[in-house]
Amino acid sequence: MQTRPWLLLLMLVVLIPARARGQEAPASGQSSPFSQAKFVPDISLILDCSYLMRSLPDERYGELTVPGTAIPHEDATSHRGFNLNYAEITFYSIVDPYFELFAVLHVSEHHLHLEEAYWLTKKLPAGLQLKAGKFLSGFGRINEQHAHYWDFADPPLILDALFGPEGLNEVGARVSWVAPLETYLMLGGELLMGENAASFGRTGIQSASASFHQESVNGPGLWLGYGRTSFDFGDASLLLGASAGRGATRVDEGFSASLAGGEALSGHTLIYGGDLTVKYLIDAIRYVALQGEFLYRSTDGTLYTNSASPVVQSSPYERRQSGFYTQAVAKLGLQWRAGIRLDMLTQNKIVEDGFRTDLPQNLPRFSAMVEFNPTEFSRVRLQYNYDRSRYALEDSHLSGKTVHELSVQVNLAIGAHGAHSF
Amino acid sequence: MRQAVLALFALFALAPQPSPSRPLHVVAAYPYIGDLVEKIGGRNVRVFSLARGDYNPHVIIPRPSFIAKVRRADLLVISGAQLEIGWLPPLLRQANNPAVQPGEVGFLDLSRSVTLIDVPAAVSRELGDVHPEGNPHYYLDPENILILARVIRDKLSELDPDGSWFYDGNLDAFVTLWRAKLAEWSEKLLPLKDTRVIEYHKNYDYFLKRYGLVLAGTVEPLPGIPPTSKHIERLEALLMAQPARFVLQDVYNPDDASRHLAEKLGMTLVHLPHDVGAVREASDLVTLFDELVGRLTQ
Repeated sequence: MQTRPWLLLLMLVVLIPARARGQEAPASGQSSPFSQAKFVPDISLILDCSYLMRSLPDERYGELTVPGTAIPHEDATSHRGFNLNYAEITFYSIVDPYFELFAVLHVSEHHLHLEEAYWLTKKLPAGLQLKAGKFLSGFGRINEQHAHYWDFADPPLILDALFGPEGLNEVGARVSWVAPLETYLMLGGELLMGENAASFGRTGIQSASASFHQESVNGPGLWLGYGRTSFDFGDASLLLGASAGRGATRVDEGFSASLAGGEALSGHTLIYGGDLTVKYLIDAIRYVALQGEFLYRSTDGTLYTNSASPVVQSSPYERRQSGFYTQAVAKLGLQWRAGIRLDMLTQNKIVEDGFRTDLPQNLPRFSAMVEFNPTEFSRVRLQYNYDRSRYALEDSHLSGKTVHELSVQVNLAIGAHGAHSF
Repeated sequence: MRQAVLALFALFALAPQPSPSRPLHVVAAYPYIGDLVEKIGGRNVRVFSLARGDYNPHVIIPRPSFIAKVRRADLLVISGAQLEIGWLPPLLRQANNPAVQPGEVGFLDLSRSVTLIDVPAAVSRELGDVHPEGNPHYYLDPENILILARVIRDKLSELDPDGSWFYDGNLDAFVTLWRAKLAEWSEKLLPLKDTRVIEYHKNYDYFLKRYGLVLAGTVEPLPGIPPTSKHIERLEALLMAQPARFVLQDVYNPDDASRHLAEKLGMTLVHLPHDVGAVREASDLVTLFDELVGRLTQ
């Protein structure tokens, strides 16, 4: 049902250029006084496919979790063999002298959803800019970037753990300010609805017996603030960022649905991030880029459980998690890039009702990749992952499983696609 | 308390107020533009050039420090014809400076005032990195520099009418100097008329056209695509039948294929600057063209 309006939009997009072609060359003496063909927005399609080899069968891999997180996410896991990871349809155009508009449709085999749709102001004074709609938050460094711009096939583990497969992608508004200084300094603030299922959530909680009721969050439930600055040292550029945010958290895991069992969490979550990027230009073609990001999440709230009695039990809940990724990527020649990455979930502490759950800490994953880019519109990437972050539940014990993954990924872009930032 | 308020007031009164006498902050996409703006604007402008002259003008890394420069700019001058399409738009979007957005007085696209060559009838990325508006390296025709100098004078006078007499004077001086140099370069290059050359990338087409040199082929099979052995073989066969004298190589692309061709077919490999700062000697527009001419005629 949900996909229907977008199918219509898609048809429209296919039809507009067809109309444009029809009106390109009017017969001599005739005019097209009402033609809008020249106003077709920039449209591009990005396709990402891969072939994946993994040391564990799909069923076995699907049972593994990263303890303390929502990984694996439903419908977000790749399979052995061929994967159509996504197709991304992007639209961009200047609206008028005052606004620009971006929209990104994320298409998978059976789903079509609006990944981003937002407007930006062009004419605000004093270095200010407003952005509103649905967009990837500017929190941290990599969250704002689309998957096709990532240096590796998969997102960093800590981002996946804290924000889920779609990242921190919310409906809301952002204001940014660039300081009128010789040095780059950008400050941004976002007010978002806070629907991210992995960290936040806003829907109220009600027990199946209706004896307990926790209200929904009304209005925006999440605010974020961040700053970025940059320094150049000769041929090296350094970009430094810090982010923080606070939002309401509402999680319902089978609580509303059943009389016995299930639990729900209500509380608030703080997130902090720090990032550092250094890019050193060796010459006109080659560079080395080092990038690292550290994220921290702390949740405090109340955990509600349905017990056999009609009374809902509540207990204090506390969660402290953090992790980082650090990567080095080098452009070795006109068409070649290579990189390594270390992912680590460092802190993983959950305290329920005063009892600390002993979750494994310092969960690592190592990745290495080589990329061949025939042109800026095509990319073939070979990536190897040595993943030691996954655990299986065996006899109510968590036991670590090592996973090896090797993937060949092809990413292609057609149409008019805008340039990327630093 | 009252003294403090007075002191604060005095501080504001003494602080430099924005007035036409303040130098115009100009951000230039490339060093050749920066040099030309400096020549016309003199002490009335403060110029910052974003790209490095010795790097590939198509693929400049958009350093975040550039955002700060664009944020404070009164005028942004680009070369245009989509040469900056791969790196400048995100900077412009992130700089939050309404004054230098396309369509505003503080934005100048130089390519709009010259005639571009090789405008493709149809575009497809099958043909490599094609520019739908035509070959963007028009500034290597020294006659075009005169047009650009006038356009820049007009723009500076529009932004700072009080200084227009000053810009007029600078333009006159520049035109006089440039005309003399044009005569000198024409004379030096006269013996090279109808000389066949090949180039790595279609960087020097405007220069060749101006002085009647004949382009016999490019080392790149398609714009932006590095040479393949198959293409080099084809080029060798072509040059065997109809020899060329020079291989023109820019300073930022690898020159092994050009070197191989030059050695095998007895051509002279010449490394040519494409912008101010591409080679040490090309420190401004005049020396850039001196170097282009000198390296071909020495």
